[in-house]
Amino acid sequence: MDVKQDNVILRMTGITKCFPGTLALDKVQLTCEKGKVHILLGENGAGKSTLMKIISGVYTRDEGTVWYDGQEVNFTNVRQSMEAGISMIHQELNLLPERTIAQNIYLGHEPMVKGLKGVIDYKKMVKDSRELMDRLGLDLDPNILVKKLSIAQMQMVEVVKALSKEVKLVIMDEPTSSLTDREIDKLFEIVEKLKRDNVAIIYISHRMDEIKRIGDCVTVMRDGQYIDTVDVEDMDLDTLISMMVGRKIENMYERHYREPGKVIFETKDLSGWRFRNVNINVREGEIVSLSGLIGAGRTEIAKAVFGDEPIEHGSYTLYGKQITRTTPVKSVRNSMGYLSEDRKAEGLVLQMPIKENLVAASLTKVFKGGVLRSGPEDEIGKKYVAELRIATPNAEKLVGELSGGNQQKVVIGKWLETGCKFLIIDEPTRGIDVGAKSEIYKLLDRLVGEGYGILMISSEMNEVIGISDRVYVMKDGEITGEVTRENMTQEAIMRFAVGGKERAVNE
Amino acid sequence: MNKSQKGGAAGLLAGLRKLNIPGILIGNIVLFVLFGLANERFLSSYNIMMIFRNTCTLLMAALGFTLVILIGKIDMSVGSVVSMAAVSVVVLYNAGVPVALALLLPLLIGIAVGVINGLLIAKCNFDFWVVTFGMMSVFAGLALVTTDGNTVAIKNDIVNWIGNGKIAGIYVVIWITVILAALMVWIQKKTKFGYDVFALGGSQAVASVSGINVVKTSIIVYALSGLFAALAGVLIACMTNSGSPAVGVDYTFNAMAAIVIGGTPFIGGKGGIGGTILGALLMKILASGLSLVGIPATWQKAITGFVIVALIIIDVVNDHRKNIKAQRRVYNNVG
Repeated sequence: MDVKQDNVILRMTGITKCFPGTLALDKVQLTCEKGKVHILLGENGAGKSTLMKIISGVYTRDEGTVWYDGQEVNFTNVRQSMEAGISMIHQELNLLPERTIAQNIYLGHEPMVKGLKGVIDYKKMVKDSRELMDRLGLDLDPNILVKKLSIAQMQMVEVVKALSKEVKLVIMDEPTSSLTDREIDKLFEIVEKLKRDNVAIIYISHRMDEIKRIGDCVTVMRDGQYIDTVDVEDMDLDTLISMMVGRKIENMYERHYREPGKVIFETKDLSGWRFRNVNINVREGEIVSLSGLIGAGRTEIAKAVFGDEPIEHGSYTLYGKQITRTTPVKSVRNSMGYLSEDRKAEGLVLQMPIKENLVAASLTKVFKGGVLRSGPEDEIGKKYVAELRIATPNAEKLVGELSGGNQQKVVIGKWLETGCKFLIIDEPTRGIDVGAKSEIYKLLDRLVGEGYGILMISSEMNEVIGISDRVYVMKDGEITGEVTRENMTQEAIMRFAVGGKERAVNE
Repeated sequence: MNKSQKGGAAGLLAGLRKLNIPGILIGNIVLFVLFGLANERFLSSYNIMMIFRNTCTLLMAALGFTLVILIGKIDMSVGSVVSMAAVSVVVLYNAGVPVALALLLPLLIGIAVGVINGLLIAKCNFDFWVVTFGMMSVFAGLALVTTDGNTVAIKNDIVNWIGNGKIAGIYVVIWITVILAALMVWIQKKTKFGYDVFALGGSQAVASVSGINVVKTSIIVYALSGLFAALAGVLIACMTNSGSPAVGVDYTFNAMAAIVIGGTPFIGGKGGIGGTILGALLMKILASGLSLVGIPATWQKAITGFVIVALIIIDVVNDHRKNIKAQRRVYNNVG
């Protein structure tokens, strides 16, 4: 691409960043122009967020140069990049629930009383917030606490926060992931306005429709490497996807679909903290997914079913046994397994060896009469290391030293050892690199082949479409639709996830 | 209107809940009325003045400590710094140091302890329990060493005036405490530093990506905790005209109790000094009232503890209910 020199706001070349054990970025380059939307495309773990955190000064680079606004820069903290006019909308919400909207919008750069350094002018802050929100079309009282907002509203506050100062470059990391259509329209209007004001925008997204709508050019990254940059006009979807994934998608998702058996898990009008009247079922040999936007209530269902959060109304049956109140201990006895989305905090004890983690949910087997017998523990360790192909010299290695994919295998092994036949898996491949992902998928495929039933929760659309038999879609705590394998497309799922029941029916 | 028709205690309670008066204030009023009814001497101006006077040192120690708890951390060294400061005033003065210096140097010691705590915790990432426990032992020990374990007397008019003198009929210590408490409330509510403290307590990650200097803010917070602990120690020396190496022993936990019943949870991020003032008052109202109604000193500690636990349970239950409500409401738009 030929780029006019005077229009360039950001030029990064040869950026390299290592984290202990992984090369997160390997000689990556990126060039952004004023008044243009530069899309950054890549799978989870491709290094997009790391690259953005280097621009904004959260991380420092190991190698490479960054030219910003005509000079070479080296931001070592966020304050410096903020003062230089770089603003970032983070993928995860960076808000303080116990503070007001105004306090959150101006967090870190509050307006001061004139002539009194360090004293905050709250009235001005509220007034400015109100103006800013009016301008961006967000109708909320700046004095209310952020914890009272819906997830989508919080996301919009995050956008307002990013634009509350003089900006030259705005980084948006999947800003639409929890927005409804109406708010997405609003956000895109904002983006158009920023472009007219000659602000450069780096926009990270997975969604192809968005790219066509607002993008000017696209840079693709994969496994920490720069692949290519193309203009959106001469972009070809298929090449883009193959650049992103680096291989044919079929290899990635290997599923042997079979005729499912009898129903093993079925909910009846199940209601809990963030979901209502949920009726879903899982049959033997099936992978059933719960899909929906972040905050739709998917994880809450899993937690209620497992007994970690209360069931308020309704019940479910598991292997013919009706359950209305449960606890995690009872659920394990009822042969249910639960792989939480946060495997490091809730699934594993990182500073303990593999074998001890493997027996953690079935301790009665190794504590005969309350006394530890190391024989069975060693056997179990060896068995799963071999069976699940956990990459380790032996089962004595600490789980914290394993890669994400191998850690996940240990969690799966832990539940298999309990003898459970029904697994709930929340975000099975979060934080796992591409190669290891396909191994996890193969493993899940093998399990359902052996008669397991799996309820999967995933935010990765490719994954949901790639390995599910059926998909239930949620919005605002309710099941809005069911998509079967014959008509399983991203559009079909998104329609239920964003528009809800009525809209999907209307169309 | 229909609220009041419900009548009785239920209607009143519902009305109060709507006003959103913090539980700690209601607790204070209830205790005040109860003790007043039980013994008319409780409401005498002398007794009320004494309650305020007794609150001073506890509140002083809790002022800086509140900031530490607001950022989600703990300072176990508060009590030891109180003792060390009280002892230092006396020892320095008796060694011939001018009285102004003898009163100021202990404050510097307090700030120094705080800065060391803050550096080790925020800059070097040591665990705050370990660091402040260590400091607690160091200064409890040093206070003992300085006076050989004895209580030492001090005889100076200025010292005595600060501790026991009055301006406009009100004790000097009360004036000092009121002014400093008001200043701290203002700092917490109106300044950038106060905002940063709440941001840190809400989430260190959010504070850091918003360009707030986490290390610097933490160090200032611990320095203030040390400073106010030392101030409490100095005031004790003035009020008792003596320095005892064990005088601060109870201060760490009593200050913590005042802070937590005042509505600042140990996870930080909400609450603040306003609540701490009421919390400290409540503890002293309780102590005074229990003495006046004739409950033996041996029982007072247990009863005070019981009240603290009860108040905290009420708070936690309330919070839990609100949280569940918030969980459910998260989809309903507001505003």
